[in-house]
Amino acid sequence: MLEKNTDGKNEYILQCEGISKAFGGTQALKDVQLHVKPGEVHALMGENGAGKSTLMKIVIGLHKQDKGTITFEGKPYQVKGPVDAINAGIAMIHQELNPEPHLSIADSIFLKREDTVGKFFLNKKKQNERAGEILKQFNFPYGPKTLIKELTLAQVQMVEIIKAVSSDARMIIMDEPTSSLDSEETDHLFRVIRELKAKGVAIIYISHRMDEIFQICDTVSVFRDGMFITSAPLAQISRDELISKMVGRKVENVFPKVDCKIGDVVFKAENLCGKGFKDISFEVHAGEILGLSGLVGSGRSETMRAIFGLDPITSGKMYLEGKEIKNKNPRSAINKGICMVNEDRKNFGLCLLRSLRENISLPNLPKKQRGILINQRREIKECEEVAKQLTVKAASIEHEAFSLSGGNQQKVVIAKWIMANPKLLILDEPTRGVDVGAKSEIHSLMCQFAAKGMAIIMISSELPEIMGMSDRILIYHEGSINGEVTRAEILDSTATEEVILAKAFGGK
Amino acid sequence: MIIMMKKVLAIALAMTMTFGLVACGNSKTEPATPAETTTEETTTEEATTEETTTEETTAEEATQQAAAGADVNGDGKVIVGYISKNLTDPFHAPINEYAEKTLNQMKSDGTIDDWTGILDGETDPNKQIDRADECITKGCDAVIILPAESEASDPAVTKLADAGINVIVVNSKTVSTDERAIAYCGSNDVEAGKMLGEWVVKNVPDGGKYIHCTGILGNSAQIDRGQGIAEVMSAHPEFELVGEPDTQWSGDKAANATTDAIAQYGDELVAVICDNDDMSSAAQRAANDAGRSDIVCVGVDGNQNPLQMVKDGDLGATVLQDGVGQVAAGIDVITALINGEEFDSAPVIPFVLVTKDNVDEYLN
Amino acid sequence: MLGKIKAKSAHNDSLRMLMGKYGIGIVLLIMMVVIGIMEPAFATSNNFINVATQVAINGMISYGMCLAITTGGIDLAVGAQLALTSCVLGVTITNSGMNVWVSCFIALLVATLFGLLNGVLIAKFNMFPFVVTLSTQLIIRGLSQVISGGKAISLTSDVFKNIYSGKFLGMPIPIVILIIITIIMYLLLHWTKFGRYVFAVGGNVNAAIASGVSEFWTKVGVYTVSGFLAGVAAIIFTAKTGSAQSNIGIGYETDAVAACVLGGTSFAGGIATIPGVLMGIFIIGFIYNGMNLIGVSSYYQSIVKGCVIIGAVLLDMVMNKRNR
Repeated sequence: MLEKNTDGKNEYILQCEGISKAFGGTQALKDVQLHVKPGEVHALMGENGAGKSTLMKIVIGLHKQDKGTITFEGKPYQVKGPVDAINAGIAMIHQELNPEPHLSIADSIFLKREDTVGKFFLNKKKQNERAGEILKQFNFPYGPKTLIKELTLAQVQMVEIIKAVSSDARMIIMDEPTSSLDSEETDHLFRVIRELKAKGVAIIYISHRMDEIFQICDTVSVFRDGMFITSAPLAQISRDELISKMVGRKVENVFPKVDCKIGDVVFKAENLCGKGFKDISFEVHAGEILGLSGLVGSGRSETMRAIFGLDPITSGKMYLEGKEIKNKNPRSAINKGICMVNEDRKNFGLCLLRSLRENISLPNLPKKQRGILINQRREIKECEEVAKQLTVKAASIEHEAFSLSGGNQQKVVIAKWIMANPKLLILDEPTRGVDVGAKSEIHSLMCQFAAKGMAIIMISSELPEIMGMSDRILIYHEGSINGEVTRAEILDSTATEEVILAKAFGGK
Repeated sequence: MIIMMKKVLAIALAMTMTFGLVACGNSKTEPATPAETTTEETTTEEATTEETTTEETTAEEATQQAAAGADVNGDGKVIVGYISKNLTDPFHAPINEYAEKTLNQMKSDGTIDDWTGILDGETDPNKQIDRADECITKGCDAVIILPAESEASDPAVTKLADAGINVIVVNSKTVSTDERAIAYCGSNDVEAGKMLGEWVVKNVPDGGKYIHCTGILGNSAQIDRGQGIAEVMSAHPEFELVGEPDTQWSGDKAANATTDAIAQYGDELVAVICDNDDMSSAAQRAANDAGRSDIVCVGVDGNQNPLQMVKDGDLGATVLQDGVGQVAAGIDVITALINGEEFDSAPVIPFVLVTKDNVDEYLN
Repeated sequence: MLGKIKAKSAHNDSLRMLMGKYGIGIVLLIMMVVIGIMEPAFATSNNFINVATQVAINGMISYGMCLAITTGGIDLAVGAQLALTSCVLGVTITNSGMNVWVSCFIALLVATLFGLLNGVLIAKFNMFPFVVTLSTQLIIRGLSQVISGGKAISLTSDVFKNIYSGKFLGMPIPIVILIIITIIMYLLLHWTKFGRYVFAVGGNVNAAIASGVSEFWTKVGVYTVSGFLAGVAAIIFTAKTGSAQSNIGIGYETDAVAACVLGGTSFAGGIATIPGVLMGIFIIGFIYNGMNLIGVSSYYQSIVKGCVIIGAVLLDMVMNKRNR
């Protein structure tokens, strides 16, 4: 724990003391504290459901604490909502950005505090001028009139940060800011963070990515099960210590990869072409985990979506167990034994309003019929079994999916495909936004499935993950495969992170 | 849990209060009506009724004796039901208003024990049948009904009659009215149609092209008025019917149809005959706006707006259907039942051609 | 993990979920008690039978509407479907002298086909259900005017009229139909593949497609069922009024939507229960019936109806919020 200064008050920009919050019967936060200094990047770590998000929502006024006090810049702080919080000097960049796509950058930056002529009419000209200046300060490559929908996710995020800074925020909360950025974009973000830091802006940085935490943050506060565990300068804590504090136990092996017997070719692609990829040929064997690496947008996900029947294939052939197949839609893929966990869990993974049971059995209903009706008793039994097998943490499978944490939601998505018992399982970013504990559980599950003879294709933007888990890695560059490395090459260090990155950027 | 229960209770209470308030609001309005106006109006209506009964009566006897007084279900109370056609038409508003005033008056002076209030038929036979069910549940002894449809609203009449209730049909007939209702108080829509035709023939002696804006197809008033119009106009070959737009009783649609017809036929268009005068007044306004105040527009009902236009000289004439007279005749039947007097089972309330000369009598 | 927590909170949980799902039942009960106290004639078995018979028509339409709303759409064509089916019945039974049952079959077929048409237009071309059904209802009503010639066709067949006035095991046939359709709809929505697909498509269409659900057939199915149910409603309606005409059913979609909303059907899609909708249907029925019996002036009834709907939906939201 940090030593408190004797004169106390002025050292911290934000002081949360003794915060408790319960939702219904669940105690989300129990007497937690948080101390953030001006000009520091403060990491907030903990598994999903540890209480980080709840605390942040209290800080920006989305929830109200049951107990405890918050002091901001030495004054008692109580806000009614995000807009109020921004006026007070605290802005939050959310993990899932949902900006209005039809607004211009200038409109977006000045949303809710527009320049007006009189009371009602917008002063577009002045607004655009002001926005232009601010954008220039940040070296942003687009003009103020550009529409949000023309920007990449990373750029939208940058707009959000610019918006926060321009509204004179003294503290910015960033929730998983790099989850959808590639490494170049991440570097750019870190440059901006350092600039903000130099200006004295405090940043609360929430992330599951250990590397980033050590790269950019100064201090870390760890939460577990709604409780405050510890706070320490990052220079004084090791990676393993941090992980064990978060999960409350030692995580022995980061990647539990087990070498399985590699069997016959299960799936083979020959010169597949489609939107975003061309001339893709590969094979994947039973018991094999095939990793797909490359930059975001290099065609990895696009290829897999097309194989799964979500997008059309313009030319090329696919073979499953030696027979040529065509997948017009996901249904035909599922019927043949090809399943896919989509990278976009919220949009393509779950019906969040429906129960876990319904989500898990959705693709498997044709097998659960008794006459025309569903055999509900059997359905409940099987769903409970598979949920248990995948260690889904939920009070009951009748609960709605949105009530679960990200990691558990991901397990539910995997559960529904495991129930379908596929020959080929495609996992697109299976551990994105998943906490450390669940992440390693998902990795172990992948090994279990492979051991049973399933062929697995995994897409991941995290190099350590893909190098730790794959038997073979295909590296994408601009829509084609630009090289392959095997596990043997990784193990004897002939293929390093640098080698893979170089190929991803188009090198040989 | 406890907090939730509290909220439930709070809302329940709020809802009870809503119901209670509305019910109270209703009963408070009762004693406000002066007795004089009602009696006066009824007597004048009776006078007109008697003069014109000769026109047509049913095969039934013209008069009949109330069998065992008005309390047919023998519960010691006389309860009257009133099923309106709707609450929204300008034509029906004064009818409902008159009925409410009169029946409240009768309740407060003890002539009747209770009445249902104005039940909303929503111009929907299905809803009218449901309302009839409620009259039966409520133990009504006599029910006044203004049918929405001649065919489809009939089950409401038969249902009430089957329950032994005295049914008085007002304004328009249903198919079994003659057999099952104790009285029908209405006017003859064919006559109204004829009056429309005759007005046009009289005012445009040279003839020409005309259009006929219809009510909602299938409504008995639409059918009968159309028949009357056709009877007159077909006898005058100098007139040519160039269109029968389906204007659905709506003034707005009739105005559009008129503008279209003026654009299409120009000076050849001489008249717009409408099934009601919401439409004819809107049509006349459209014609006047187009600089064609010479076009003769005429319709049936005698709503306030067309009457005002007649008074202002914007509209030549309108044919007034005396709805209040009809319902007054219906209530008279009930009074007669209670008093054990004889009554006319089919009073015909005549239409009145309203022009500038007599408009002041009907304009409020 | 799963087992342990479940055992501890199962009871509390299921109660809470029941309250969340069917909290509207409390509104229904309160209404019945309050009206019953104010007007003794209300709480008679005769009156309840009346109300149940009355709500059968809106019931049929509401179930179809519930499916459409659950997939994130709406079916505005039901009122016109009522008119068309009614006119088909009139033309076939009265004008062509067909057997009543053959004629009912044809009428249902026509209604179902137009439901199918709605579904295909919505699902195949990805048009907004609001726009599609708004347009097809004009076409459907127009057709009904064409085939009936705009006139009321009288239906004198006693066999046919018996569909409304007849009794089966002492119960009026509309109630029997309501019970049968309620059971079928309950099974369809909660116990079949199709029902799950309806929830999935309404809850998250992308996730549904990625789970192998056919958006096309689900939506087509929904509007076809809605068309069929409107056909059943029209048969009851026509048997009740004994007259087939093209101007009926105007505005019937509003009561159906109201019943769905009262029953906890979410306009965002993906949430609905058949018992909830049934309660919504009865609440609407009791509002009309109860207020008329109490003698609430009709001028105030719309206001009360609006207040009850908003109040009930608010209550539902408050309860659901506590659940989450």
